[in-house]
Amino acid sequence: MTATREAIALPLVFLTVTLFGGLRIADGVTLLPPPLFALVLSVLLIGLLVRCGALAPNRLVHTSRSMLANVNGVIVMLAAFLASAQAFNIATPESGAPRVVFNLVYLVLLANTIAASPDRPRALRSLLVIFGSAFIVKFVVLAALSHPAEGPLTRVLQVLFEGVTLGSVTQGIFHPATGYVAFGTLILYLFGLVLLPAADEERLNRTLVTRRTLT
Amino acid sequence: MRDRMVRGIGLALTLGYATFIAWLYVQQPQSAAEVTGGLSATIGSYRVDTAAFEDGMAFFRRDQFAAARIAFERADPAHQDPQVQFYVAYSYYRQGWGRFYQDDKLFAQGLEAVNRAMARAPDGRIRVDDPALQMRSGEELKAELEAGLRRDASDFNPARILRPRK
Repeated sequence: MTATREAIALPLVFLTVTLFGGLRIADGVTLLPPPLFALVLSVLLIGLLVRCGALAPNRLVHTSRSMLANVNGVIVMLAAFLASAQAFNIATPESGAPRVVFNLVYLVLLANTIAASPDRPRALRSLLVIFGSAFIVKFVVLAALSHPAEGPLTRVLQVLFEGVTLGSVTQGIFHPATGYVAFGTLILYLFGLVLLPAADEERLNRTLVTRRTLT
Repeated sequence: MRDRMVRGIGLALTLGYATFIAWLYVQQPQSAAEVTGGLSATIGSYRVDTAAFEDGMAFFRRDQFAAARIAFERADPAHQDPQVQFYVAYSYYRQGWGRFYQDDKLFAQGLEAVNRAMARAPDGRIRVDDPALQMRSGEELKAELEAGLRRDASDFNPARILRPRK
């Protein structure tokens, strides 16, 4: 990995995700810090990236590297951790039952993926599916259910839906720009994950073979 | 050598960018003007447009509060000047004040403005030497706005209609 990628590209990509991951545009602009559970999910996600070889910590921090290079490496890992938390923050509904369900689903999916020990491409594809699905449900499905209806019939149906669900599904309404920003942020985050220094393929294959032999 | 330079530049860039992001999350600016104004206030180069402020004061003294706020907004677009924000809060108070009832929405906006003024003032202490005002400190104005928003038994005291507007 080049010094430019490690010292400039990766930190800037992940910090940009950290910045825009909390952006919500409604009547005003709000920047939301990551909730506690997003930090927990972020730890799991970093664990998954290390396990599948998408992130090799020893290529970022090692005794054979210079002090400056190690500082750059620590910053990349910290930025990746914060960006992961903000990626979960932006992909999770803001309130009600959907928020609880999303958090539980993330937890189960991450735990399941860690247990399955996929290789790097499979793990990254899995993350693409997780964040892509969450984005569609939050910014397309839930936004449509929560948006004020235009016709009287649609309005009646919406009121009935809110009554049946006790108002626990509908969400606060954001400006459409929030969805576009979220889309760009998640794409940038996944791009950042692809850029991370991966574990040496040969060593990884050896580890996988050893694991299979043991099991 | 080139590698060290790239790493050094990257480190400086990253630390600067991270500090800027942390500042944004703490300040929660609502517009680009607030971002640039806030940054220039941080380095002490932010200046209020005095002509616009004088226009605002003229409107304020004629009880044209909505017009006064437009001029104050022009004078302090980044909402960084404690004195201008104090007058913005005062304009909300005077416009929202009523002998029989208070306009809660205007009082709430006034409270927001006075909180902003106190947050920007050194040590949170704001004093305005204006003989035309009966409340000359942030604390007095804030207490009056909070009292106006509070619901209690004193709201039903008939003597309330005799109280003066400050």
